Amino acid sequence: MPEIHQFFQQLINGIALGGMYALIALGYTMVYGIVELINFAHGDVYTLGSYFSLSILALIPLSRYTGGWQLWLIASCVIVLAALLCGIVGVLIERLAYRRLRNAPRLAPLITAIGVSLILENLMQIWKGTSEVPFPQFLPGGLGVPDNVFVVAGVGIHERALIVVVVSILAMLALNLLVFRTKLGTAMRATAQDRDAAQLMGININGTIAWTFFIGAALAGVAGFISGIYYGTTFFLNGYQAGLKAFTAAVLGGIGNITGAMLGGFLIGIVEAMTSQYISDQWTSVVVFSILILILVFRPSGLLGEQVPEKV
Amino acid sequence: MRCAHIARHVGLATIVAVLSLGLAACSGNAPGGQSSNTGSSGNVIKVGADLPVSGGDASDGMPTANGVKLAVIDANKRKLIPDYTIEASVVDDAVNGVHNPSQGAKNVQAFASDPSVIGIIGPFNSNVAKAEIPLSNSLGIALISPANTNPDLTRGPMAAELRTANPTQLTYFRVCTTDDIQGPAGADYAAQVLHLKRAYVMDDNETYGRGVADQWASRFQTDGGTVLAHDHITKGQQDFHALLTRAASMNPDVVFYGGTTSTGGGLVRKQMADAGLGSIAYFGADGIRNDQFLTDAGTAANGSYATVATVNGAPDFLKQYQAQFGQPVGSYSANGYVAAMVLIEATAAAMKANGGKVPTRAQVLDELRSGKIHHTIIGDFSFDKNGDTTNKIITTYGVRNGAWVFVTQKNYAK
Amino acid sequence: MKRVLPLVIIVALAFVPLLDRNASHISAYADTGGLVLLAFGLNIIVGYTGLLALGFAAFFAIGAYTYAFLASPQFGIHLNFWPMIGVSAAVAGLFGLVLGAPTLRLRGDYLAIVTLGFGEIVPQVLQNLDKWTGGPDGIAGIDQPRLFGFGFGFNPVPYYYLYLAIILVSLWLLNNLRHSRIGRSWMAIREDELAAAHMGINTTTAKLAAFSLGAAFAGVAGVLFAAKLSTVSPSGFDFNTSVMILAALVLGGMGNLPGVITGAVIIGLLNFLILPQATNWVQTLGQQMHIAVLASVDLNQYRFLVYGIILVTVMLFRPEGLIPSATRRAELHAEASSGAPAQADG
Repeated sequence: MPEIHQFFQQLINGIALGGMYALIALGYTMVYGIVELINFAHGDVYTLGSYFSLSILALIPLSRYTGGWQLWLIASCVIVLAALLCGIVGVLIERLAYRRLRNAPRLAPLITAIGVSLILENLMQIWKGTSEVPFPQFLPGGLGVPDNVFVVAGVGIHERALIVVVVSILAMLALNLLVFRTKLGTAMRATAQDRDAAQLMGININGTIAWTFFIGAALAGVAGFISGIYYGTTFFLNGYQAGLKAFTAAVLGGIGNITGAMLGGFLIGIVEAMTSQYISDQWTSVVVFSILILILVFRPSGLLGEQVPEKV
Repeated sequence: MRCAHIARHVGLATIVAVLSLGLAACSGNAPGGQSSNTGSSGNVIKVGADLPVSGGDASDGMPTANGVKLAVIDANKRKLIPDYTIEASVVDDAVNGVHNPSQGAKNVQAFASDPSVIGIIGPFNSNVAKAEIPLSNSLGIALISPANTNPDLTRGPMAAELRTANPTQLTYFRVCTTDDIQGPAGADYAAQVLHLKRAYVMDDNETYGRGVADQWASRFQTDGGTVLAHDHITKGQQDFHALLTRAASMNPDVVFYGGTTSTGGGLVRKQMADAGLGSIAYFGADGIRNDQFLTDAGTAANGSYATVATVNGAPDFLKQYQAQFGQPVGSYSANGYVAAMVLIEATAAAMKANGGKVPTRAQVLDELRSGKIHHTIIGDFSFDKNGDTTNKIITTYGVRNGAWVFVTQKNYAK
Repeated sequence: MKRVLPLVIIVALAFVPLLDRNASHISAYADTGGLVLLAFGLNIIVGYTGLLALGFAAFFAIGAYTYAFLASPQFGIHLNFWPMIGVSAAVAGLFGLVLGAPTLRLRGDYLAIVTLGFGEIVPQVLQNLDKWTGGPDGIAGIDQPRLFGFGFGFNPVPYYYLYLAIILVSLWLLNNLRHSRIGRSWMAIREDELAAAHMGINTTTAKLAAFSLGAAFAGVAGVLFAAKLSTVSPSGFDFNTSVMILAALVLGGMGNLPGVITGAVIIGLLNFLILPQATNWVQTLGQQMHIAVLASVDLNQYRFLVYGIILVTVMLFRPEGLIPSATRRAELHAEASSGAPAQADG
């Protein structure tokens, strides 16, 4: 394979991986933007999304003959349900673990978030065990049917990779609409800017924050579903690494910035693929976390974020 | 005033500390210690087993532990040690689902401090063995591994380092042969039987995985094959597409994975299809020859091969195991059985020499070092001067229709 | 009386190995001592100065590997154990400075993430640079301490006393430090960094001092860890270890030494002694009652569930920990009840 094809092939790999990071990063960035909390448990909500999807799928009699529009209908139902369940989990986490600490020193909720993350991981471990769990790959062709590969100028693109990218872009568009075109979005932006002022303007702060957690967690749930489709397996600790990398993506793009999170997600995915190709696979996480440190040290506002002075 | 205040607080904390220490001391006993056995009291002799019995490694560790348990059941039935009940005490060296050297070292220390433990079966993983061998050497307790295949554990400079406490005292033995036999055996099969020419080699960057991958790669080249590249992966990742795309660009006709299923052996096989490598052969060693591999790789598992450093067979054992545990044997069930049996027989022999009294651990070790031939379900063998088995049998398995099936078996003993 | 009590307790602790002859218990107590040292270190950073460091195990690893490099067959260097305690502390402290210098001006949670990233990078680098670090195998055959011709070997008892001695020295050191100029600056920064700066405290220097001193404690713990086990490998220094140290601190009470000790002792015993034992108790019960679920249960698996529950419940219901310092308790409760000062903390 010529060198340039190789490069583009890795670009595709990176974009597909990045699509999932992007979806997770959206949740990080929204929550941080509004309550300035690094929701450490968010990566585990992503894994939870694939676990919920698995359980829902177990209720549906899928066979390799289920085909066409039925598959897409099933997929949509599973996505919506998994997202809904994850959203509820997100709201519950906020209500039970974070709300009491909203006015406590920063340290307190961050430590709580680590605790919530550990609890979620262990609950998933109890739920489905400590090994990889197979996930039925039924999209797009049907259960057990290998997906097609489009070859564009010598570069192969799997349909499943396309699903990842399309779903994540659709999610970002929807989120943008919600944040910039709806009343809830206005309330969210107002709360992010100045919580007290927003309250004075009659905005329900608790409700708005709960909605933010709901939407962030629901997006992680969507990511959990498509990761199941893409990889065909899931694992209770996946959310830890994926969460850290998605957080890196959010920081890279400029935390609090929705487009930035998306951009950051794709960039981190691409960086990983390129490191694997041109440096060595064993250095991928070192490279990604070095980027995290460098960005925080030299440009804490990220690529698209605004320079915000520390609030005092 | 200030000092007194501090003193009070330090005091308070220390009370809590002492209380908890006392509590633990009262309640605690050594592992497996359900009763307050102190060696002579009670007619129990324990066989310790340190294996990864949880998480992704459980599909390796559990069947091996069952082998140990079966040996103990048999030995009790056959009254190999008259007037004593033998118990198997299995502890886990996996933390969060992956084998952990520090945990293993702690387990060995705990076993050594329980006087009723006569010897230890384990560990499963070579990096755990590296942490445990110095302890067994220093504490003078037999450690018999059913599955460690890294050659450096018993031979060469690293083995000497591991035995610094008592350089002349051998305490570590193994009933399986090593990767310098296993790796080449797999490479020979790939090159000479399947006539494969171009190999892409990857490993999980662990002691065992790197070792067996190096051995496989070097033999594959001697056999006239080409090793296109040898990469190490990052632990804990889910996505191997980029690495496999890189592999695909070199047009291999075989991919070798050195590592275990829990470190990604099954996921790699599954994702090979996405990178256009689904139809080529996939080789691994004993780390992937388990049921979890079939689960992880799904339908992509077909066309995979794995070598195992033991025999395939002992039909009576297979039946007995199935009846006892209701599941088929694992790759190292028979080795777990044999390791435990060898330990129990050595204990019985040492006991006879000791006038019917429970032998010391040193006497059991002397018995194991004597070089006598053990007649076992995996064949007759003895331990050589390094503690390695003279039995050098390698069995190769392949995946057909989603199940591991026997392919070939060869004895590499000279 | 108040002066006598600690003495009594110290003497009592000194007698523990004579009363409890089970080597695995002594080993667990010694490991608990290691956790106490680590918690002391993290307490300087998190408890005194109010900076959140998440990848603290990285400094632990640096201390352990420093000793492993300089006292093992790896490079054929065999330096004496005792001065190496100081050397490893210095090396770990230096890494604390190097990481701290560019990052300490970051906001609290950003600093947490930087240290978390650092904590992920260090074990991975140790794993990848196999020419020097032994890669995934780590380094084996590390020299063990000798004192007046007596070799410690793998006997846990001398390590127990060593930990006890170092903890006592550390306690004396920390008590003096806390009431020194630098100690008061740390707490001023924790209360209100801006005000501290206006009071003429050089906050950068104070924070750097806290960071490198905390790291140095982890370095000492690393040397002892490596010597006791005689082997190091990258897998022992991951995020889980950092979380364990943090859980000890949170449980006992940040910023208060008796609290820190209590927390570390509870978590340590839970981790090294009680959970492994409890697994056996439950399994035996299961075997005797013929309950398959109980017979195969492994409570070790759930220890991070225990840590998680500790972190969440303590933060929600008793954020000052079991044995808090008076000031810290006042602080945390004032902030939780009124919103205004909390904003200042951001």
